[in-house]
Amino acid sequence: MSNTRSHIWFVSPAVLLMFLILILPVFVAGTFSFTDYNLGSPDFKWVGWKNYESLGKFSSYKKMFTASLTYVVIVVPVSVLLGLGSAMLISSLRFGGELYKTVFFLPVMATLLAMAYAWEFTLDPVIGVINKFLDDGCSVGWFYKLFTGSWLGFNPTESWYGELCNDRMPNWLGNKKYALGSISFIGIWQAFGFNMVLYLAGLTSVPRDLYAAAEMDGANSPWEKFKLVTWPMLGPTHVFVVTITSIRSFQVFDTVEALTRGGPSKSTYMMVYAMFEKGVKQNLVGMGSALTIVFLGFVLILTLTQVYFINRKVHYS
Amino acid sequence: MAGIELKGISKSFEKNEVIKSLNLMIENGEFITIVGPSGCGKSTLLRIIAGLESQSNGDVIIDGREVNNIKASNRDLAMVFQSYALYPHLTVLQNLMVPLKLRRMSTLERFPIINWFFPNRRSKIDKLKESVLQASETLQIEHLLGRKPGQLSGGQQQRVAVGRAMVREPVAFLMDEPLSNLDAALRVHMRAEISELHRKLKTTFVYVTHDQAEALTMSDRMAVMMDGEILQLDTPSEIYNKPASLRVAEFIGSPKINVLPAESNEKGDIDCMGISMSLSIKDNKNEKILVGIRPEHTNLLQDNKKNCFLGEVNHKENLGSDIYLHVTLKDSQQKMIIRSNPDISFNTKIGEIIRIGFDNNKVMIFNESGQNLNKKS
Ligand SMILES: Nc1ncnc2c1ncn2[C@@H]1O[C@H](COP(=O)(O)OP(=O)(O)OP(=O)(O)O)[C@@H](O)[C@H]1O
Ligand SMILES: [Mg+2]
Repeated sequence: MSNTRSHIWFVSPAVLLMFLILILPVFVAGTFSFTDYNLGSPDFKWVGWKNYESLGKFSSYKKMFTASLTYVVIVVPVSVLLGLGSAMLISSLRFGGELYKTVFFLPVMATLLAMAYAWEFTLDPVIGVINKFLDDGCSVGWFYKLFTGSWLGFNPTESWYGELCNDRMPNWLGNKKYALGSISFIGIWQAFGFNMVLYLAGLTSVPRDLYAAAEMDGANSPWEKFKLVTWPMLGPTHVFVVTITSIRSFQVFDTVEALTRGGPSKSTYMMVYAMFEKGVKQNLVGMGSALTIVFLGFVLILTLTQVYFINRKVHYS
Repeated sequence: MAGIELKGISKSFEKNEVIKSLNLMIENGEFITIVGPSGCGKSTLLRIIAGLESQSNGDVIIDGREVNNIKASNRDLAMVFQSYALYPHLTVLQNLMVPLKLRRMSTLERFPIINWFFPNRRSKIDKLKESVLQASETLQIEHLLGRKPGQLSGGQQQRVAVGRAMVREPVAFLMDEPLSNLDAALRVHMRAEISELHRKLKTTFVYVTHDQAEALTMSDRMAVMMDGEILQLDTPSEIYNKPASLRVAEFIGSPKINVLPAESNEKGDIDCMGISMSLSIKDNKNEKILVGIRPEHTNLLQDNKKNCFLGEVNHKENLGSDIYLHVTLKDSQQKMIIRSNPDISFNTKIGEIIRIGFDNNKVMIFNESGQNLNKKS
């Protein structure tokens, strides 16, 4: 480095902005998480680890972790595999691929909040299309047989669908049993188009020659070629897709806010929604900050895992 | 080991006819080279033989058996790709194991977890490993077995690619420009190695290249291919000395053959640009013809002879063993390339007028549509 100091002037705006915009807020949140600060109150007390301890103590936070993790564990594998499957189907099409790409990508482009209201109507227990359909299905012989499993010899009235037919169709968003599943379903519906696009990009970078080589080597079936070429060659894409989907699933907020507000009985109480509820709605900035820090910790772990895999396993050189 | 026969093969991509009704008979155990300029359909032809591409018309016959409807994986051919196409996530050892595992073990034996129920699976794999080790010994890549393709040099990758083709002892090898990614010195070395491998294995080799040096040095027979057709199929020396047509003569030989306008009189004597060539032809009397003289059959004359061209030197290429002079002939704009002995031409200067002699016995005569007239007589 030369002995002039001009370089400092060149880098300082970027460093300053990075500090102000990225690092300082985290630092502030970290500080607040050790206080009982309320927005608007003139002063605050240091409470040490109390906020963090309550995360482990209260059942609502335990439910929060359960809901968030369950959501991630459902949405990530399903949307990743659906994305991969649809990408492979689309890329093997001779024509019509563009149409499918656009249709599957629509949920990604649409505002999730607006879509959430559309889902609210669809899933409505009384006027929703889904329950109407299921209701009508009870009186259609083959449909009833198919879904009750009576064609396999099960007792139709004991099956899930059979019981619903005798009672009434579920309240998808209002019932503790179904709410998280419904929210996850919307999450998958929303995420898989994005994964599909990433996989489509990944698939175009697999050298054609490798498929020819696999065929010459005796890979007879599509499954052999998939195992030998497609799956491993998509390694970097897998890591990226899984990480991005996990982080985005941790961040789910719009659907929860619009459809369930964390209920019923906290079964869909996701982390970001909890942050919003504590920090903004209830003004408990200290608690909200502690949640933020824990959330950042999760994201950091995911990111570091990604970095690890990219550097080690999937880098073929 | 097997012979390969192509009968009336043609191939079109949409409206673009890439291969036009092509016939080719490849003998059992032969090293045949298909040589031609870029885009003439060599790779397409090879892929049709392999079964990776389906022909629009015609039959592929391997070992007397028509294989039109047999998949690439069941034709028992091996292919070496220009890009090598090694599996980048597998080590060299695993790469070499792939064709053996896929062919010698059942799907269930290769299926994760289920394969635990096959007690003799281990010994089977050990046996396969043994043949891999044997092949890697032949190719001297034993020390590379633990590495991934990304950690190998181009030449080493090339060997691994050949090894992968070799391990399972196919009935024929197909090679698509396997040396074109290597540097010049290594290419010469690998040329010798592949020839050696062919002598050792005695299997049919079909070798595609655009490099005439590879074709001339390695093959038993070579097929010169242009625009989807085979122009000539013969031994390298036959093709070099007796090209069937001007296009073949121009493609084979480096630098390119000199082509000069000439004409034959009523007696059949040939006059080339005012020089009587003391050559005559029986047919094609009183006609405009073309004379082909390879640069290596010309020389720089020091004394005045009857049969010589006069020309001005434009450019001089010194290759050490030879000097190539680029010349414009006097009284015309005809260009020629002359090979000369460095002892004679070391102080020839650009702009100098030189006398050019040629070897009368090696002159080729073509009619205006490019057919070789010596060949017939
Ligand atoms: N899949 C394809 N679709 C359409 N055209 C193709 C396809 N593959 C090859 N071609 C065309 O067929 C012609 C022959 O191609 P090919 O790859 O056989 O040439 P080549 O002789 O191997 O050339 P090179 O020496 O450059 O490898 C080219 O004009 C190419 O554009
Ligand atoms: Mg080619």
